[in-house]
Amino acid sequence: MSWNFEKPLVTLCDAATNEEDKKLWEKEDLGGITEDNNRMPMPVVLLVVLTVLTAFAVTFPLWGQRPTAELYAGFVKAMDTPEVKAIQNDDEAMKKIVQMNKGGGIMGGRSADDMIDRHPLSMNDLRIIKPQIETLMSSGVDLGEYTVVGDRVVLANFEGNLKADGTHERKQPWWDKGYTIDIFYLSYFFIMVILLIKRLPPSTWQPRHNNH
Amino acid sequence: MAGFREYKIGARIFGLALGGSMTITLFFPSINIASTSSTDVALAKQLAVGHETGFNLDDPLLQGKNKPYVVYLKNDPKTNQPLAQAMTVYVYPAGAPFPAGIIHPRILGEGIEQMSVEQGHITDARKDAGAVFALDKGVYQGKQISFINDLTASKGWAPADVMRVAKDEDVSHAGKGKTMFVREGCWWCHTLLPEQTQDWQVFGAPPMQGDFNGESPTAFGSDRKAPDLLHVGSRNSSKEWLMMHFFNPRLVQPHSIMPRFDYLWGEKDASGNKIDYVKWRAEYTEYTEGKRVTPPDVPSYASDSEIRSLVDFMLSLK
Amino acid sequence: MFKYLLAKNEDIPEGSAAVFFGFSSIIWFVIGTGLGSFNAAKLAFPDFVTGDMYFAFGHMRQVHVMAVIFGWISMAFAMAMMYITPILGNNKLWSEKLGLWNCLLWNAGLLLALTLLWAGVSSGREYSDFPWPIDLYLATCVFIPLAVNVWMTILNRKTQGIYTTNWFFAAATFMVIIVFLVGNSPEFFHLTGLTEAYLTWWFAHNVLGLWITPVAAAIAYYTIPKITGNPLYSHRIGHLHFWSVVVFYSTPAAHHLMSAPLPEWLKSFASVEGVLILVPAIAFVSNIMLTMKGKWYMFVENVEVRFTITGCLMAIPLNMQGGFQQTRAINWYIHGTGWIVAHAHLALLGFSTFLEAAAVYLGLQTLLKRKLYSLTLANMHFWLLLIGFTTYWVSMTIAGLIQGAGKIYEVPYIDVVIAEHPYMIARWLGGTLVFFGNTLWLYNMWMTARKGSVVPQGRMPHELQYER
Repeated sequence: MSWNFEKPLVTLCDAATNEEDKKLWEKEDLGGITEDNNRMPMPVVLLVVLTVLTAFAVTFPLWGQRPTAELYAGFVKAMDTPEVKAIQNDDEAMKKIVQMNKGGGIMGGRSADDMIDRHPLSMNDLRIIKPQIETLMSSGVDLGEYTVVGDRVVLANFEGNLKADGTHERKQPWWDKGYTIDIFYLSYFFIMVILLIKRLPPSTWQPRHNNH
Repeated sequence: MAGFREYKIGARIFGLALGGSMTITLFFPSINIASTSSTDVALAKQLAVGHETGFNLDDPLLQGKNKPYVVYLKNDPKTNQPLAQAMTVYVYPAGAPFPAGIIHPRILGEGIEQMSVEQGHITDARKDAGAVFALDKGVYQGKQISFINDLTASKGWAPADVMRVAKDEDVSHAGKGKTMFVREGCWWCHTLLPEQTQDWQVFGAPPMQGDFNGESPTAFGSDRKAPDLLHVGSRNSSKEWLMMHFFNPRLVQPHSIMPRFDYLWGEKDASGNKIDYVKWRAEYTEYTEGKRVTPPDVPSYASDSEIRSLVDFMLSLK
Repeated sequence: MFKYLLAKNEDIPEGSAAVFFGFSSIIWFVIGTGLGSFNAAKLAFPDFVTGDMYFAFGHMRQVHVMAVIFGWISMAFAMAMMYITPILGNNKLWSEKLGLWNCLLWNAGLLLALTLLWAGVSSGREYSDFPWPIDLYLATCVFIPLAVNVWMTILNRKTQGIYTTNWFFAAATFMVIIVFLVGNSPEFFHLTGLTEAYLTWWFAHNVLGLWITPVAAAIAYYTIPKITGNPLYSHRIGHLHFWSVVVFYSTPAAHHLMSAPLPEWLKSFASVEGVLILVPAIAFVSNIMLTMKGKWYMFVENVEVRFTITGCLMAIPLNMQGGFQQTRAINWYIHGTGWIVAHAHLALLGFSTFLEAAAVYLGLQTLLKRKLYSLTLANMHFWLLLIGFTTYWVSMTIAGLIQGAGKIYEVPYIDVVIAEHPYMIARWLGGTLVFFGNTLWLYNMWMTARKGSVVPQGRMPHELQYER
């Protein structure tokens, strides 16, 4: 076990060990199979880097979100406004409500407008969930933690980050200790593999097998 | 040894890598999962279904032996006088193994464990004598919680007495039914897990983290070729529909690809007559060929048949 | 075989254990795919063989899965290990006798296990369906003896180095024992609830990730350099592959339960790690493809190379699916649908089966010292497998997308069943082609043993011309 840090990107072994390795490498015949010492191809390295970046990006909870009570809180408020009350036709009234709630910006990391489009509601649906959402609003809880399931508004079952009171946030997290462990784990992997690979003789040297 | 054959180092790194992976994927999550308290769903489910519904030594061939009954009790088992208020009790006949929460009360969660042991006396329950359990409400450190009460210990109700005063229609064989659910492979197509982000409107709310304490196997299923069943009892509670559907699903849903489970009726029907399957199938074939106007009647099942327990289990999935 | 069970180890011909494992694996493959085809017929035509407990879909589905995993795939692995491990160490198998007993106990145990499973004696846990006494039997009579034989052969090698294939064999035989014992611990210790559910998928994930995938890849690391005569392109990429399998493939178990109420941090962690299974895939595919340099004509002319390279190429879509379908972005759409069934078949019937079939073709010819009986039959086998599998995969992927759409748009379930019907028929046809291909293969290998031309001393079977 000798280390040589003069040219860490070329080899981490000293010259004597490398010479020994080279001799062994050329001499050895493993059941008729030999190995070359080609460098890690650049496309492979780039693909691995791309994979790591993509891995984090696609894991963030961007898609497939259910409508939350937060999404319809604005709807419930709009129901009681005079301009909506004045409309007799339910469909017209709902159009008006949607129009009043558009331009809501970002909600839970997503565009609220997209969420409204994705989860349309009829006036009757809204009438059923209205009292439930109003109860929640008056109790001062985070409406983003409640999901609309059919005609019921229930606490979502996500076991997200810990809150100060010891309970879990009922939301999919943007960052949690899982990602932190990932970063630690990835660094540990890449450091180990780079160390192992750099203990080999430099990749400029290729073994000459038998008559190869 | 030469640098590029450093196997001792390699073996150590291997141990470190695999050990690290197992620490993160097994040890860390187990801390979170073990600290989860049972919900009321989990308490009721484990009492209804019992110890284990996959292979186990009390029921090695998965015939539904040594399983508890759920009884909607209207009469006092000691005096046979009507109770002031009817209640649901879980009857473990002598020899039926208790669920994990009774054997290891710590999995019930904080408060539930203390109340069940101190007030519910669940640690006094004996397998060889059997026991009767019920869910009770109580207050632990100012919070309202449910706990398990061992009525055999607290009221002296014996399992046999409860079964004697209970009418058959008030008894559910859901525990044995779950065994059938596992044995017949229902879970290869019907999941027991409405998804967290999807399909709630149809199949109902997805479960919470504490809904599974004490349950084994959970049989979530992974390949959904048919509707989710976690809340099927709230969507459809018709025994007649379920009966026809199990006997031959095409009777109620012509496009269904579910197998027929007519063999779960056994030899005899409810009135003790032998079921003539050959005749039934022949008549059904005539019906499908248009030679009969109506399909043959589905025989009513015997009260100790396997299909009865499976229907009871379906109805218990609220 | 029986006459050798009590013979002295020195008196048993070299390679006997591998030959018996080879034929056992092909027979299990025929049985397993036959069951698969039968099951598929029941999904397409529900009243096909009906009203009998033993022919109900719910009784047979798991028998098909376990027969192909523990019969075909794992026995083909045992076969490959028993002849490749000694060759790479320039020595003999540590104990042919242990190998033969291993083969006998494996076949007998699996037969018993599948019979029980068929009767419904199941733990009710997917992929770890066997009851716990059977699990203990499989650990002690199947995987531990196999590991002992492989490890002792490697430790007694006559070379200083250990070739990449043997790193994988050694690591995988060790890891599969750990995975087996830990993954089945809910049954041994009656662990319940989410712990049980999570360990079920920890087992299911790791038996694929730490047993099937690495061993299949290790086989390719042997067959390609051996037959083409090229040196393995890069020892360095081999390192990247090996370590990323151990580190990344062992961690994403929770991604099978993305829709269950597990702690969200665990899903975040598992999902990132899940994408990183692309790292071993990139390393593996690039290393094998670069080793082929200058020998691509063999992809056409040589049966084993064709099987191996086809399997390697299938690793690309396999890992693209596997890496991404489990993320929060995609999983909500395809979870629990036929897409996953298609993916599982891409892993086991596409990627890994093609690599193992090459090993069994090559191994039986080498050990029996006989040239393959018929190239025509082998070609038919190849195309029946490939076309059958592709039909299956395409139809199930489409069916899965239909199911996913039905799920998202909350279509009444029965409409999804109706829409899937044509694809269920296609799936059955595809599966049946695979089954027919395998019966031809069994015949071909049997005839190779009986009638194949003898390979002269010191030559390899692939150096000889095909005759039929």
